[in-house]
Amino acid sequence: MQGIITDIQRFSVHDGPGIRTTVFLKGCNLRCAWCHNPETLHPGPELQVLPDKCIDCKACLEACPQGAHEVTGGRRVFHRDRCTACGACAAVCYSGALVLVGRRMTADEVMAEVLEDRVFYETSGGGVTVSGGEPLSQREFARGILDRAKQEHLHTAVDTNLASPWQDVAALLPVTDLFLVDVKMTDSARHTRWTGAPNALVLENARRLSREGVPMVVRTPVVPGVNDTVEQIGAVADFIRAFPNLEYYELLPYHPLGTGKYRSLGMDYAMEGLTPPGPDTMQALAAAAGERGIAVRVAGAATVEKA
Amino acid sequence: MTEALTYRRRLDLLRETKRAQTHAKLQKNGYMDEDDYGTVLPPDDFHWEPTPTHANGSWYGAEGWARNFRSLMEVHPTYVDPLDVLAGRWMIFMNRERPVCWPPDLDYAHLVPDQERYGIEPGIGADAHFTGDYLIGLELGWGGLLQKVRHYRQVHAGDAAKAALLDAEEQTVLGVQTWIRHTVEAIRGAEAAETHADLRQNLHETAEANAWLIDHPPHTLREACQWIAWFNMASRTYNRDGAGGQLDEILRPYYERDVADGRIDDEDAVFIIACLLLNDPHYYQLGGPGPDGADLTSHVSFLILEAAHRVGTSCNLTIRVHDGLDEQLFMTSVRHLFEDRKGWPRYSGDKGLVEGFMRNGYSAELARQRIATGCHWMAIPGREYTLNDCVKINVAKVFEVALREMMDDASAAPSVQNLWRRFENHLRRAVRCTAKGIDWHLDHQRFNEPELLLNLLCHGPIETGLDAADGGVEYYNICCDGAALATVADSFAALDQRIEREAVLAWDDIAAHLRSNWAGAGGERVRRMMRASQRYGHGRSLGDDWAGRVSRLYTRLVKERPTPGGRNLIPGWFSWSRTIEMGREVGATPNGRGAAEPISHGANPDPGFRADGAPTAMAKAIAAIQPGYGNTAPMQLELDPGLSKDEGGIEKVAALIKSHFRLGGTLFNINVIDAEKVLEAHRDPAKYPDLIVRVTGFTAYFAALSPEFRQLVVDRIIAE
Repeated sequence: MQGIITDIQRFSVHDGPGIRTTVFLKGCNLRCAWCHNPETLHPGPELQVLPDKCIDCKACLEACPQGAHEVTGGRRVFHRDRCTACGACAAVCYSGALVLVGRRMTADEVMAEVLEDRVFYETSGGGVTVSGGEPLSQREFARGILDRAKQEHLHTAVDTNLASPWQDVAALLPVTDLFLVDVKMTDSARHTRWTGAPNALVLENARRLSREGVPMVVRTPVVPGVNDTVEQIGAVADFIRAFPNLEYYELLPYHPLGTGKYRSLGMDYAMEGLTPPGPDTMQALAAAAGERGIAVRVAGAATVEKA
Repeated sequence: MTEALTYRRRLDLLRETKRAQTHAKLQKNGYMDEDDYGTVLPPDDFHWEPTPTHANGSWYGAEGWARNFRSLMEVHPTYVDPLDVLAGRWMIFMNRERPVCWPPDLDYAHLVPDQERYGIEPGIGADAHFTGDYLIGLELGWGGLLQKVRHYRQVHAGDAAKAALLDAEEQTVLGVQTWIRHTVEAIRGAEAAETHADLRQNLHETAEANAWLIDHPPHTLREACQWIAWFNMASRTYNRDGAGGQLDEILRPYYERDVADGRIDDEDAVFIIACLLLNDPHYYQLGGPGPDGADLTSHVSFLILEAAHRVGTSCNLTIRVHDGLDEQLFMTSVRHLFEDRKGWPRYSGDKGLVEGFMRNGYSAELARQRIATGCHWMAIPGREYTLNDCVKINVAKVFEVALREMMDDASAAPSVQNLWRRFENHLRRAVRCTAKGIDWHLDHQRFNEPELLLNLLCHGPIETGLDAADGGVEYYNICCDGAALATVADSFAALDQRIEREAVLAWDDIAAHLRSNWAGAGGERVRRMMRASQRYGHGRSLGDDWAGRVSRLYTRLVKERPTPGGRNLIPGWFSWSRTIEMGREVGATPNGRGAAEPISHGANPDPGFRADGAPTAMAKAIAAIQPGYGNTAPMQLELDPGLSKDEGGIEKVAALIKSHFRLGGTLFNINVIDAEKVLEAHRDPAKYPDLIVRVTGFTAYFAALSPEFRQLVVDRIIAE
């Protein structure tokens, strides 16, 4: 079975316990305005253009069967509308200015890369995390990777937005040791505004998942102007506080590192120029969540223990 | 009112003094791409005139060295800081005062052509770089050492050569005693002038301790540390010897006795040890197995870590990681890596080292006693002569010779297989030339520079009257390091991939690009193409395959036979801080490296080996190329300090270290360093005078490194 991935990241230390390898599946069913991985949104391969790296060798002009690369008036022009993401130009671009994002791989091929770090998983209590994009947007492929990982007795985690039918989530239960679940906000209208979809499915799936007994970590990206208030984070904490399988609640401060990627993909970035939340804000939000009696972590900061 | 001087305050002031001394050294001597060493500048009016024994202005042989060492000791400036519990600093690199460092009449011109051809650093005339056993000196004291030397001088009275060596040893001990005696006088003077009651008392005790140590062995922790400091300073002065020992186990009896007698508490002990670490960044090992395999961790191990933490300067402490290592010591040390961010400690891997050393035919018991006491190296204290870190073959140069020969040979079609065959031939020839050079050194070094200081702390040289380089010690396992592994592996991989597998490039084209240093039409594109080939370190890549082949070949050739004189060689991969100089000797290479650019660092993959720079990939790759005979191929890793801020971040780094050693890794050097800070420090070094980085096996003040060398450190942190 083949799927399409954007990256396999070894020594991944933010997506579950221990040292992990995170497999990023391409394609997402939400359009979060702040997304820092825009290359994972579209389900198919696409060309990333990084003009700063271009050495002007012009190999792409010859390579492209669609004429998407041109020199017009002495300037390099890329016609994205002509690009079919065939990868011919990227294959001859050794400077890294043209990169085809999206690699087709089989679950076995993915697993061969994942197994490279088995010894590190064993020593650290780590394993493999299937992330995205949204892994359930390639549910058969995601299941295939997790099946193979369980055959290898690896710890498995799935990083999902849960905005998929319950049966798709349930299909992963037998092969998933930990769910990393994104709950961005509880208000459905705001959720629709900022992610392009209502959150009824997300919340319902989260409730159902909480009854399954599989360990669960709930995570919220904290985005200024979107959900960085005590009320909003408190509402998420209220929603999850009774989950018996909740390991902890993690707040992820927004960061702008994806800005350049939007440009390289020819996409607009609605959040350009947004300043990340400061440590005081993060601590105040963590404290507010902690008051609900749950364990709270802030990525990149000290732990706020259970109140 | 007299200021209350807590230990903390005293260390703050001592650190400030050290900072000023480092700044002064930089101003006077310029950049130093090496260890800090703990030297201070001599006073402006200091003058010492060595006495040459040769018309070229140098001195050679036991008598020449002894006479000059003794004369230096007679005039060596004293150094007393009332805040310090230990007296003395060293100031003169005696072995750098000689204009010609090898006797011209011991000419090895027959070896020079191949040495130059293959970029061999032969180690002929290299000194120190093995390890003394402090316990010998701590047991006997300088007075006892003197008696021992005089006793064996009588025993060997009938052998002129042995008698001459032992006469020289006698002068050496007398010289050190003179230096201590002068220092005692200086301390007494400072004591009389000191107005602060606590400091006056400290000076009084320092004078008492040093007066005792002129003749007697130490019996307190303070005296033991002062004795070690004197040996270190004297041996550094003599020939830059930086080897230490298993410091926790060495100091433990003194600490336990002092505590039992109510002389000191842990605060006192930490301050005393901090002063020892401040005196000189010698290489000490902590934890690890004793000869029987039982862990040596003790309370003193923790005190040493705490002392290093408080002193806050450059340190070279190594934790020996084995299955039985005290987990608390290990985790405490990893926390220090992140909290202190000064490049210490580093870690050595017991499994790879012991199993490797045993392949030379030694027992596990002996292998466990071969400990980390140098930049990248292990040695058995007092029993083994190693020439560690002194012998290197620039394998990139060997590769270049092979490639040029193939391209110039019209009789055979060029191919990777053809190149490999020639590379093997030249590498064998380089190893053989190196082996002959090692014999030359061992057969003649006593006429050049006997190890007058380290001999005193070895089992054998005094007893037999034979210098450590001349059969005086029990074991001779001579280091033979390769350098430029990644440069060569990536070059083979790039040729393999682009010419033979993909057929996108012809041999003549690459040869032309290398000759022109990628300057001609399309040169930069081809350079990028080669650079973008499957690199060593990526994992399951052609570069990894080639690195394995190159390392196995190198190991096989080094172990193929001992030297013609029958000496055992041990292969490793290490470049120390020589990457820039070695790179200057080599033209453009097929891995996309430009002519005269630095060669790759130690056993590391080149920066940019993987898009995610995954340390796990690096750890696997380096573990896979270990030569496996007990010397190291170290892993040098730069980590972002942010890692420790996440829950479990420290534990993940701890697991990374242990995993590398489970895979067979031998030595793990880690910098925890903020990329932005290091970039800023590179632009304006004066802004961060205290920024300490682990350059390779050693740590250094970033500001004291040359701009070229700082760039290398920056490149490792911020890959292309």
